[in-house]
Amino acid sequence: MKFHAWGALAGGVIKESIRRKDLWVIAILSLVILLFSSALGFFGVQGLQVFAKDLGLTLLSVLSTIMAALISTRLLPDELKSKTIYPLAARPISRFDLLFGKYLGAVFATWVGFLLLATTTFIGLAIFKVSFEPILLQYLVFKAFGLALLCSVGMMFSLYCTTNAAATLTMVLAFGGTILSRGLTMAYGQSAPALQAFFKALNAVLPQYGLFDLGGRAANVRWSPAPMWVAAFLFGYAVVYSGFMLALGMRKFGKQAL
Amino acid sequence: MLKAIEVENLFVQYRSRSGVVKDAVKGLSFQVDRGEVVAFLGPNGAGKSSTLKALMGFLIPASGAVSVFGLEAGSIEAKRRIGYLPEIANYYPYLTPTETLCLYGNLQGLQGQSLRREVAELLEQVGLASASKTLNKNLSKGMLQRVGIAQALLGEPELLILDEFTSGLDPIGRRQLRDLLQKRRDAGCTIFFSSHELDEVEMLCDRVLLIRDGKLIDENAVEALKENLGSYSLTYRGKQFEAPGVCEQLSKQIWRHTFADKGEFMQTLNQTFKHKVELLDVSCSDGSLEDYFVDTIRRSA
Repeated sequence: MKFHAWGALAGGVIKESIRRKDLWVIAILSLVILLFSSALGFFGVQGLQVFAKDLGLTLLSVLSTIMAALISTRLLPDELKSKTIYPLAARPISRFDLLFGKYLGAVFATWVGFLLLATTTFIGLAIFKVSFEPILLQYLVFKAFGLALLCSVGMMFSLYCTTNAAATLTMVLAFGGTILSRGLTMAYGQSAPALQAFFKALNAVLPQYGLFDLGGRAANVRWSPAPMWVAAFLFGYAVVYSGFMLALGMRKFGKQAL
Repeated sequence: MLKAIEVENLFVQYRSRSGVVKDAVKGLSFQVDRGEVVAFLGPNGAGKSSTLKALMGFLIPASGAVSVFGLEAGSIEAKRRIGYLPEIANYYPYLTPTETLCLYGNLQGLQGQSLRREVAELLEQVGLASASKTLNKNLSKGMLQRVGIAQALLGEPELLILDEFTSGLDPIGRRQLRDLLQKRRDAGCTIFFSSHELDEVEMLCDRVLLIRDGKLIDENAVEALKENLGSYSLTYRGKQFEAPGVCEQLSKQIWRHTFADKGEFMQTLNQTFKHKVELLDVSCSDGSLEDYFVDTIRRSA
């Protein structure tokens, strides 16, 4: 029954996202990437395959991250604001089912957009005669894990602050997470033991979204795919971290007056 | 036998961002029997919607007990037996009424052919069959209210909780809905609703609960109210005779008797023939719920 409810909620979100033309924006952006890549190919810039690949994957990464942040932070506040939450909450489902169903909806809608972007990027790269290594497929899978994690972060923030603040915070953590982590690591090395524990804890709390981005490796050198244990670890990390974020969100949403 | 709704000493509070606590409901207690149709009346801001939200588990009461069929309000088991219509009719703008009802039906545990059949039947009953494939964003307010009514009736709930159910409906829509609700009532469904449309209340209800400032101020059966609210008078020319009710002299030899009780009025009317007075005017008016509402609210203020 729960799977059925989650599926119904997620299905509703995806259907709405497609009809609301959110994903059309992504399609237009994809077309821009495609045209840009084709233009490079048309003018015969042969030495730029690596550059084009790097550019394509970076754009793919940035756009999908923005999309995940915007979709996940908007879902529940929009439901609460427009009062569409009432008929949903009146059904025989728990608040957790409601939150988790919406989370799955955000993840799947993001994945649909991401796949759309990836498809046009790869078509563009194919026009540019860029070779495809297996690591590209792994890039897609890892990125999908990362986007799911980011959606949970966005959804959690959206329950504690305004939609704009939640989207900003999510994007700051997504794009600046690696820099923040690096800063914390440096601070850890130069601080007293008491502070070290604090920095360590802070680093553990930050979403390590950068770990899921294989774009640089996939574009620049002929890297072989990461071993299975790395994939398993990242998958486990994404599941545990997302669970933690949803639990934090549920702490607020479970008691929130509708 | 378990009551359909039991509310005991309910307190609901809202806390503003600045930390100020406002009491929306203050010690409200009432019960609704199974199969009863009860209207929940009160002026704006009286605490009606807050009480309905507490019944649905949308908010946690500050204190008090709320149960539905003996089950904790807001529990999954309780919600399985309730159909709820929110005050504001907003449904997913990019879904059609059929898709909207199928989504809610799925969450209700309904699926497949039986769900699709029930959805089609409900849309027909609420007069939305022709707009079943139009996106909700293109529907009028009244049509959205019909979508809301249809979703509340999904799964044939034992209890209907309706918040301002006639809002946005035209007279035809109101009649359709009234017929629909009467059928549900005849089938044994309990209906508890808030409304400002007192004509609808009068036509549908067994009992009314009147609240003001979060407190129950009166509770009455509609039939009893109608009898008690009646006003009758007769005016005659001639010699005054003794009769019940209030007598006032309008001019020389012209008298008016006013009665609250229909029996007394009829008895006095018969006496006018015996006393050989000239009857000038006879007036009978049934009392309206509106008078009752306004008078009771004023008295309690």
